[in-house]
Amino acid sequence: MTSASPTPSPLDETAIETAGRDPLVFLLGSSLAWLLVSGALALVASIQLHRPEFFAGCPIFTYGRAQALQETAFIYGWVANAGLGLVLWILGRLGGAVLRAANWTFVGAIFWNVGVTAGLVGIAAGDATALPRLEMPGYAQPLLLAAYGSIAVSGVLAWAGRRRPVMFAAQWYAVAALFLFPWIFSVGQVMLVWVPVHGVLQAIVQGWFAQSLWTLWMAPLGLAGAYYVVPKVTGRVLPAYDLASLGFWCLLFIGGWTGGRHLIGGPVPAWISTVAIVTSAILLSHYLIVWLNLRGAFAGGGNALRFIAFGLAAYVLGGFVDAATAMRAIAVRTQFTWFDEAQQQLALYGGVSMLIFGTLYFAVPRLTGRPWASTGLLRGHLVLSFLGLILLIGALAGAGLAQGADLANAQLSFATIAADTRPWLRFASVAQAILLLGNFMLAVNFARTVGCGKIAAVKEALVS
Amino acid sequence: MKNGSLLFLGLFAALGFSWAGIVLGSNAQLATLPAYYDQGQGQAFPRRPSGVAARGQLVYQDLNCAACHTQQVRRPGFGSDQARGWGDRQSVARDYIYQTAVQLGEFRIGPDLTNLAGRKPTAPDAVDLLTLLYSGQGAMPAYSFLFENRKISGQPSDHALRLTGRLKAAPGREIVPTPRAEALVAYLLSLNTSFDYPESIPAPAAQAEGSK
Repeated sequence: MTSASPTPSPLDETAIETAGRDPLVFLLGSSLAWLLVSGALALVASIQLHRPEFFAGCPIFTYGRAQALQETAFIYGWVANAGLGLVLWILGRLGGAVLRAANWTFVGAIFWNVGVTAGLVGIAAGDATALPRLEMPGYAQPLLLAAYGSIAVSGVLAWAGRRRPVMFAAQWYAVAALFLFPWIFSVGQVMLVWVPVHGVLQAIVQGWFAQSLWTLWMAPLGLAGAYYVVPKVTGRVLPAYDLASLGFWCLLFIGGWTGGRHLIGGPVPAWISTVAIVTSAILLSHYLIVWLNLRGAFAGGGNALRFIAFGLAAYVLGGFVDAATAMRAIAVRTQFTWFDEAQQQLALYGGVSMLIFGTLYFAVPRLTGRPWASTGLLRGHLVLSFLGLILLIGALAGAGLAQGADLANAQLSFATIAADTRPWLRFASVAQAILLLGNFMLAVNFARTVGCGKIAAVKEALVS
Repeated sequence: MKNGSLLFLGLFAALGFSWAGIVLGSNAQLATLPAYYDQGQGQAFPRRPSGVAARGQLVYQDLNCAACHTQQVRRPGFGSDQARGWGDRQSVARDYIYQTAVQLGEFRIGPDLTNLAGRKPTAPDAVDLLTLLYSGQGAMPAYSFLFENRKISGQPSDHALRLTGRLKAAPGREIVPTPRAEALVAYLLSLNTSFDYPESIPAPAAQAEGSK
């Protein structure tokens, strides 16, 4: 067997599927609920940008809080639940053994979602930390850390007890995401919330935290799925697989250093942004290698692969835009504008989320033993996601370019800038509505697929 | 890759590498940054914020004002920060040493606030800021929930906003800022970085890059 096409024997797969099903279905189901919550909040926040009076009298949904709520629901609700569910499934399958300690995962998943709920209620009530990517109030964070530990137990056991010593690229990324999150999250908590560091160091630690959370946790969660699904569906050895480990270690060792690019021109030592600019350029080799390895996704072959192909293109493009906007001459125009938001949405939603969608579409039929309940809803989600994301990223980039040009001209007031960006931001709101509708289709499809399985199981139990 | 323990150790080495470099490195450089004592004026800068301003910073944090406003002025020549009157010098690390929650911000949907109270030629006063908060302007929403619209009983309040036009309160009623609004405004008026530290003297314009 080649090292690039993981194919555990069918017998193992069936066993893994039945033993680990419930906690994984729970993780995926809750991730979709958070995706809808986050989409609705994103729509509210987006409308407020061109209609400031929308929900202005309601302190819970004032723009600052709505923005923090949608980001938290997206990262800790959607990406975390779905990413973990899929990563555990992959580790179980590639480990070639029954997923052990599934109850730990189940209990952890329940408490994780309780923690995210507490965090969102806290933000809405006014206890937010105002730290980007770590907005949840301090009291919700330890619960999340403990819950994560419990969820991860089965993944760690599946990896440590794997039947084959050789590890595939999907496993490297999965293990990296699984192990590194608790450390990144606790460093962020301790140095920013419990014993905050001094003065502007907070901004530096926050930059490191946000970037590590992205490069060492969210990106690996998405890539683990892509590296698993692409060889499975195409049935081919990944091209340039020898380079895959270089790409992996490049991301891990370089990723955390690139956070300082958001601090260019800021009140921090200049070496922090200089290091970030240099490392952003080095990180391009990671993106190139991922592209080389997974380019088979573009050859087509099913809807799961279409999502992954889009995600791969967006992820790689996001990396290149990131490196470009790290250059000081470009940053002076794009910094503090919607262009930065466009880049983040490109990488996080267009990249990682789409990779997760693709993996989800591949995994759920195998996990539940049933095909997707509706092909129409699946196609609808595909079309709306493509359309919504292209529109969203295009609109935000357009708004960012207009805003950047206007900001550079000191004669233009903020009212003029707002008027110039408003048409673009309206398009962004339309895009958010399209994405929300698409995600609603996915949630309905998931509920019907899982629900059918449950009903059939009950019928079977009644008959026998 | 076969060796699980090697992967495991490598992961932590990777995380520890950037953590030691960025976090410990900058900590060694900045953690003990003291205030600057100015012989001429006989006092140290930056000034410590008053109690009410420190409370106001919590309101700023809770409403996540940093979603739209930055608090970092870039050096003259790098962007239009100076031309917009936000400050004649770049912000430096020493400006922030007494801030409990530093809010540099990532977006400028509204203006920068680093030096709001030290702007030249005119800085806004408390009445301007309270009116702006109550009424909103341009892309900024009205924060009417920070104000109380109440019936005048006896003497009208000294704190009541004097509004005109469509914002004017109904007859017999008045609009009074809540303590949260008062604290937020006190915080905004404490934002003043007009003192020049030795390290913050503007770089000559000849070194500017990316300027328009």
